[in-house]
Amino acid sequence: MDYIYTILILIGLFVILASSFDLVIGHCGLISIAHPIFYALGAYVSAMLAKEGGVPIPLAMLAGGAAAFLASVLVALPSLRVSGDYLLIASIGFQLGLIEFAKHIHSIGGAGGLTNIPSFLVNSYGRLSYVILVLAVAVLTVLFVRWLTSGPYGRMMAAMRDDELAFSMLGRNAIWVKVSVFAIGSGIAGVAGGLYAHYFRFLEPDQFGLLQSSAILTMVVVGGMRTTWGPVIGAVVLQILPQAITFLGLPPSILGPLQGLMFSGLVLVFMFARPQGLLAAPDIWAGRSTRERADG
Amino acid sequence: MTNQPSTGLTIGRRTALALVLLSATSGAALAQQASYKFGLAMPLTGGQALYGNDQVKAAQWAVDEINKAGGINGKKLEMIVLDTQADPQVGIQAVNRLISVDKAPVFITAWSGVVKAVAPIANDNKVVELSVGANAPDIAKLGDYVYTTFPLADVDIRAVSNYSATTLGKKKAAVLFINNETGIGSAEVYRDTFKKAGGEVVAYEAYDQKATDFTGPLLKIRAANPDIVHLQGLVSESPQVIAQARQLGITVPITSYSGIYNPKLIEQLGAAAEGVIATSLAPGVDDLPAVKDYVARWVKEAGRPPNGLPYTQYLYDSPYLVAAVFASLDKKGTPVTGENFRKEMLAIKSFDLPLTGKVTFSDDHTVNKPVYLVEVKGGKWTGKAVVNK
Amino acid sequence: MLNATVISQILWTSLATSSYFVLFAVAFALVLKVNKVFNFAQAGMMTCAFYSAYVAVRVLEFSGPVGFVAAIAGGAAMAFILERFGFSVLRHRRASPMFVFIFTLIASQFITYAMTMIFGTWPTTIFASMFWPVSIIANVAVSAWDLPALGATILVLVVLWAFLRFTRYGQFMIAVADNADLAELYGIRKDRVLMVSMLVAGIICGIGMFLYGTRAQVQPAAATELMLFAVAATILGGIGNLWGAALAAVVLGLVQNSSILFIPSAWQGFLLYAFLFFAIVLFPSGFHLPERSKRLKRTVVAPVVVSDAKEG
Repeated sequence: MDYIYTILILIGLFVILASSFDLVIGHCGLISIAHPIFYALGAYVSAMLAKEGGVPIPLAMLAGGAAAFLASVLVALPSLRVSGDYLLIASIGFQLGLIEFAKHIHSIGGAGGLTNIPSFLVNSYGRLSYVILVLAVAVLTVLFVRWLTSGPYGRMMAAMRDDELAFSMLGRNAIWVKVSVFAIGSGIAGVAGGLYAHYFRFLEPDQFGLLQSSAILTMVVVGGMRTTWGPVIGAVVLQILPQAITFLGLPPSILGPLQGLMFSGLVLVFMFARPQGLLAAPDIWAGRSTRERADG
Repeated sequence: MTNQPSTGLTIGRRTALALVLLSATSGAALAQQASYKFGLAMPLTGGQALYGNDQVKAAQWAVDEINKAGGINGKKLEMIVLDTQADPQVGIQAVNRLISVDKAPVFITAWSGVVKAVAPIANDNKVVELSVGANAPDIAKLGDYVYTTFPLADVDIRAVSNYSATTLGKKKAAVLFINNETGIGSAEVYRDTFKKAGGEVVAYEAYDQKATDFTGPLLKIRAANPDIVHLQGLVSESPQVIAQARQLGITVPITSYSGIYNPKLIEQLGAAAEGVIATSLAPGVDDLPAVKDYVARWVKEAGRPPNGLPYTQYLYDSPYLVAAVFASLDKKGTPVTGENFRKEMLAIKSFDLPLTGKVTFSDDHTVNKPVYLVEVKGGKWTGKAVVNK
Repeated sequence: MLNATVISQILWTSLATSSYFVLFAVAFALVLKVNKVFNFAQAGMMTCAFYSAYVAVRVLEFSGPVGFVAAIAGGAAMAFILERFGFSVLRHRRASPMFVFIFTLIASQFITYAMTMIFGTWPTTIFASMFWPVSIIANVAVSAWDLPALGATILVLVVLWAFLRFTRYGQFMIAVADNADLAELYGIRKDRVLMVSMLVAGIICGIGMFLYGTRAQVQPAAATELMLFAVAATILGGIGNLWGAALAAVVLGLVQNSSILFIPSAWQGFLLYAFLFFAIVLFPSGFHLPERSKRLKRTVVAPVVVSDAKEG
């Protein structure tokens, strides 16, 4: 049963990550792949506060989210002042640089990782309780993103995405919108980090690198950007599929690379055969003015 | 184009879930099993797979031999192999599966990060975790159900450091290490041991994991004029480091751990490999005839010796250890649970294994083994000394 | 420790080892400049080039020069595949830059897995031996690899410069880099030019990987890390500036290697990121992505018939 619980928790966490990431790259149109570093920040901050500072875990998790929120503002503000494309470079640099930096700090475990992070809920209420917690947060995240993007804020983001120049002409501050959305998305990722840390109880800087960026990116793209359920489906499929492949009974020597090959091959096929993702957002293509509304 | 690939995926998901539910509900551990299962969680993909795959192969050979010889009192020994990618996260999932789905009472794993990450799972579920190959010193303190059959970090580094200071009579050592956890930890052990043995560490330099040029640290080492250099790196860049060291005129002996102990080094470095000393925690071809046959079998079947020969020897021996415990449980008719496995393993305490000799489990969860020092002489790896800690 | 010998040794070796980094940086910068794509799939091109050379020299046992040609062929082949079946298709569908970027990431992973499946993860070199004999010149150890590597790199840069300046396709590439749509209006076949640009990048990568793989070990995942350096150099050199990227690669390598004289060796790796981050933050206005660049570097008057192109 633990096996299934862990899968459910991972699905929940990635739903949170994918949805919040969709907010950043889908709705707001910011090109950044550094989402995992805010996930990492939230995880490490929450873990250290709880382990060394004795802070109650729910508070620690929220503090993790806040730390991620603040850090993202520090990254986004100077870079967006230059250009949107600049954010990509600055965020990659920030992500990889912070990971490298973290490997040098022995008080948080350095490259070997942070162990013995205090556990939450599991000892008192069992693993199922944690599963429920994570899934609840996932549901809340999805609803929150939906609420944010379907209201006036969402319309503002769409307008900015479509034509930033006109947007500023109308007196709106595009940079402020971008920074705030980036911060919100990253803050949510930070909270997810806290949830991760207190279940798996082991953190390592390298697990938050480009491989994870790629995974979250894939979930959003394959699932369908700018839809409510797209990231959710992406997260579910991309968590279950690799596990399902391992049940096929392939010989171990080719199982590994074959799994990766099938996986990335699948994504490539998707990108060319159904580029709008499993669920299509109405306006995914820049340059195409009309597109039939495909339902999910 | 509006194709609907979701249908295919949904079926895949459902089948997977069905399989899992089926196996999860299919009966608890029986007192007398039809077959005896254990898990093996190793990197089958990723950067460490070159070792992982060979280790799995060695273990598979052992399992086949055991089954050919009658298995566990006539019953089959079954090994379930899963990929960890040497990644803690993936390792956690693999071990979860071995415990929940495959119901293994014991599993073997390696790579310090994975060993540490899955320790809570082993302890919580009362399943025995055998760490075979990882050498982080804190593995000894991971919990009641975590044991290692492989000596931990200090043993071989301490041995070579002591040997250099006392037997080889070197007074000034330089330490060059890769800037990661193993590198840093082992370098410290070498330094402290060398100092305690009366020597002086004249240079202590690290290089970045991504570095391709080591001129800087090597020049610092050269300037310090050591008698001997100890290198603590990975197989991916250690040969380059040695090559560059020789090119920059560092002619003193270079010691390293078992990571560089493979015949390819000589091919890659030619004459520059002369004088390189490596540690090995398993008997070599000249020490034990069984090892000679083992290597010959590798060359015959795979066309090359195994990557990380000593580690594969330990992995070859592990199924024998597991089988011995299973056989004992089977004879007594004890139900096969993790808890009972652990009790039985500790009761037997000492095991005589084919390729690595005797292993004894001690109360502090560590094992003690002789350290074999090998040196490149005349273009070949030759045994130099055996140091019993 | 700061004496002339040490400094000159570090300078020399840094210069020599920067050769392959210069090539990777220039290839990346070229594709960014002309095709307007952050080609992270270049790692795939590099890996393909390496293994082509490996197969030629170690498996099929041909000689070194054949391996060299194989590396070039491998890099160009992968470049061709990426452009023909990837970038070109996405371009015709008017995919957003984000989408193309994601494609390069995933393509890079796919190629890595494929190579892992075929070749395994055991680190290998192109020649069986990675040791190059050394001669001592003025107290500096010069290895037999250094001079050919530097020579090859300089040659490539010169040939590239000449290609861009004097040949038709070279000039077309500059035109497309400046304003692709305008160039098309003048009759330049944009698709062809972009393909040529990718092929050139592939060739350069092939040469770079041959150099690298004769000096150090490579496994399928290695190219991704080499790319990091190339990307950093491209950004620091000024996006759209090939020679700036080349220079930046040399300077970065130099700085990183000589840093050991001043900072503890353990922090060397971090230096690159710190450098990059501060450069971006402190000198932001120096970098414009091609779409936003307002400079017209050269004018192409009647490109197809007569070339009047002025060198900028």
